[in-house]
Amino acid sequence: MRSDTPGRIRPSRLNRREFVRISAAGVGASALIAGGRRPAAAAASPYPDWLPASTKPPKRGGVLTRASAWDPPVIDPRHTQSVGLFQFAGLTSNRLVRHPFSDEATNPNDLTLKGDLAESWSANADHRVWTFKLRQGVKWQNVAPLNGRELTAADVKYCYEAYAKEGVQAFTFQEIEGMETPDKYTLRVHLKTPNTLFPQNVAEHVAIIFAREVLEEDGDLKKRLIGTGPYILKEHTRKVRVVLQRNPDYWDKGRPSIDEYVILSTPDDATRVAAFRTGQSDIIWRASVSDVEAIRKTNPNVQVQAYSNTLAPFGVALAQDRPPFNDVRVRRAISMAIDRQKQVDTVFEGHGILGWGVPYIYYQDTPPTAKDLGPWWQFRPAEAKKLLAEAGHPNGFETTLFYYEYFPQMSSQVQLVQQDLKKHLNINVKITKLDYTGYYGRYVDSKWAGMSWGFQSGHAVGLDERTYMYMHSKSTKNFFRVNDPIIDELTTKLRRTPDRAEQRAIAKKIVDREYDQVLRMWMPYDNGFLVFQPHMRNVAAGALRRTDGYGCPTIARSWIDK
Amino acid sequence: MYKYVIRRMLLVIPVLLLSSLVVFGLMRVMPGDALTALMGESGNVGEKELAKLRKDLGLDRPYHEQYALWVWQMVSLNPGHSIFTNEPIAVSLKKAIPVTLELASLAMIIGIVIAVPVGVMSATRQDSASDYVGRVIAVSGLSFPEFWLGTLVITFAAIWFHWIPPIGYVSLWESPWKNLQQFLIPAAVLGFRLSAATMRMTRSTVLEVLREDYVRTAWAKGLEGRIVVYKHALKNALIPVVTIVGGQLGVLLAGTVVVETIFALPGMGRLTVEAILFRDYPVVQTNVMLVAATLVTLNLVVDLTYAWLDPRIRYR
Repeated sequence: MRSDTPGRIRPSRLNRREFVRISAAGVGASALIAGGRRPAAAAASPYPDWLPASTKPPKRGGVLTRASAWDPPVIDPRHTQSVGLFQFAGLTSNRLVRHPFSDEATNPNDLTLKGDLAESWSANADHRVWTFKLRQGVKWQNVAPLNGRELTAADVKYCYEAYAKEGVQAFTFQEIEGMETPDKYTLRVHLKTPNTLFPQNVAEHVAIIFAREVLEEDGDLKKRLIGTGPYILKEHTRKVRVVLQRNPDYWDKGRPSIDEYVILSTPDDATRVAAFRTGQSDIIWRASVSDVEAIRKTNPNVQVQAYSNTLAPFGVALAQDRPPFNDVRVRRAISMAIDRQKQVDTVFEGHGILGWGVPYIYYQDTPPTAKDLGPWWQFRPAEAKKLLAEAGHPNGFETTLFYYEYFPQMSSQVQLVQQDLKKHLNINVKITKLDYTGYYGRYVDSKWAGMSWGFQSGHAVGLDERTYMYMHSKSTKNFFRVNDPIIDELTTKLRRTPDRAEQRAIAKKIVDREYDQVLRMWMPYDNGFLVFQPHMRNVAAGALRRTDGYGCPTIARSWIDK
Repeated sequence: MYKYVIRRMLLVIPVLLLSSLVVFGLMRVMPGDALTALMGESGNVGEKELAKLRKDLGLDRPYHEQYALWVWQMVSLNPGHSIFTNEPIAVSLKKAIPVTLELASLAMIIGIVIAVPVGVMSATRQDSASDYVGRVIAVSGLSFPEFWLGTLVITFAAIWFHWIPPIGYVSLWESPWKNLQQFLIPAAVLGFRLSAATMRMTRSTVLEVLREDYVRTAWAKGLEGRIVVYKHALKNALIPVVTIVGGQLGVLLAGTVVVETIFALPGMGRLTVEAILFRDYPVVQTNVMLVAATLVTLNLVVDLTYAWLDPRIRYR
């Protein structure tokens, strides 16, 4: 194995049967070590979870191609947070602050903030005023009407004001009370309330800086996306391709290495696999080990990164503002009647997580085990039945659950939950499967009764977004309808706590409260795999930022070793 | 003849009106609207803002007003803009129609090229080995759905030949060779399915015609078998075949939805499915009306073809 070929797998040629046997043996051994208790959730992956950066100097040139399931409907970052747009918007544009690239990080969970357009940032004593010092000499792309003019603090101010004014990021940016630009390269942001986590919010992948001139000329950003980023959007033909061309005037001199990045709209999964096999695509996501093995049969030299999720984006959302789900005993009973491990074992082939909502890396070092999640998250059907009877439902009840099938395994999960609730609690769940728009409209409307297979937005990396924004009772992103004064207090307190260790302690209290009250009933989710062609370098995905999705900025540091 | 054509064209009006009412009604009955889809998974859009956007897009108007406005737009050949992408629908159609037209035409050609000779061969060699082979092919074509066949073709082409049609549509004028590579296999998948019914019909009608008196006369005159079959029998056998081919157009258009998705071709099928998923009312309505108008016109053309094939047919 060449040392400069990160993550290349030895051609062990495991077949599915052998893999299952080895995994089972591994799990069995772990169980013995753990004193015979049931395995936590995920079977050990045969692939590394990190692809170290290449030690060789990067080579310039080449075209990176990716067959993508996503097609951006619009390219206006004010109006969508869809991965369709942000699979490349992070390459055309920069943010003030960013997360580390794969050649800067040592492991996927490194979320240390780095300067992007900002060179440095600091807060006043109460963390209500944040000052960002911008890099000097950053130029907009040399495309009309910007024509390579210099970026100034006024541009960033204009952009944040536009985000606050309308669109999907309004809630985040409306916490800004006012902004001032003492000079061309300084932006001072005054917040309505103290927030020590504000830099994390402007580091979110969706908080890109767009061009003022385009919005003023076009009235929207639907046709042109011009930024300061490493790539210029050369073509966007819906349902065909997105072509990004290297920005020769990029402020990070010598970068990027790859000349062109082409994203081919390929809605069918079998076609994406075929495209990867035949070299028409350089990156592909696979959900299961058997999928990866199938690819490795024809392409044995591919690089595989096991992508461990730090959270589960889906769970059973209950109408907890009304009976019977406003009774914590009912929520706890339901949670205990669901066999999550069975879902991991059967639906996700043993390679999945039990489910939790806040990225664990913000409050502990290792993924939570079933024990960490607390008593109400263990599969204890007898106690669940007893608790439901105590809550006044000894004979169960009727309810509904609607969902949209985000991925094929989801339907199996929904049916397993239905079976568990019927079998253990005599709760009859009537399932309705909707298409995306029908589901989404009903879900975010937050007026539904019964249950839904709920989600939390996929793009967010920051702790503030994952706690205050998604759980505070006043937040418009609080889809699970959490209305808990202690959570409100803790999430607000978290924003006022600058110390990292204290932040971790408060984050832990938030999740403990969430688990105890079963405020969001997370369901198992898969760990997937990113598969790269053997010649790709510096492409590893970090936690909450997949290279083929929101984590696309890492491609600015990738190169092709041919 | 002219009277017949005019009468048929007048009948098109209620058909299209009814279609317009059905598609308009169905789209409004479906839960959710384009704004919901457009907002993505953010959810942090206030009620006021949603109401404003809904007003800007005219979605807050009563249904009868929305319908009347849309019908007027259609009549004035200005179908408006996509709610979802803001692109003029005419522009979207200009991009999508050539793709579907090329795919459908190629599929039709491939389908007929397979169906007619195989059907004739099956009929002229009834119950022989070649007849059985032809019938098995026909039954296979009827049995294999496009999504299955298309997926199989693309998967095994990648595994066995390390080749699949290039992804990323290129127009015929940009690169004829690349375009042909992109279209030939999807068209063959569609054409194979299309050929099945046509082949079965060709076989049975040719068999029937071969037993007619005038064919016996032709044989008795000592004409060559090729001339008897292709000149005398086939033309008369083609009327039901043409009907079948005309009727298959609807199936063909439905098939393009799947095939365009598998082979990543940006045609009408993908445009319509996406528009349905995102409740892009004007796009769905326009596309459905376009397909309805096309089918009605083609049915008329098929009916008129009968007279050319059989001079005994008169239109009154």
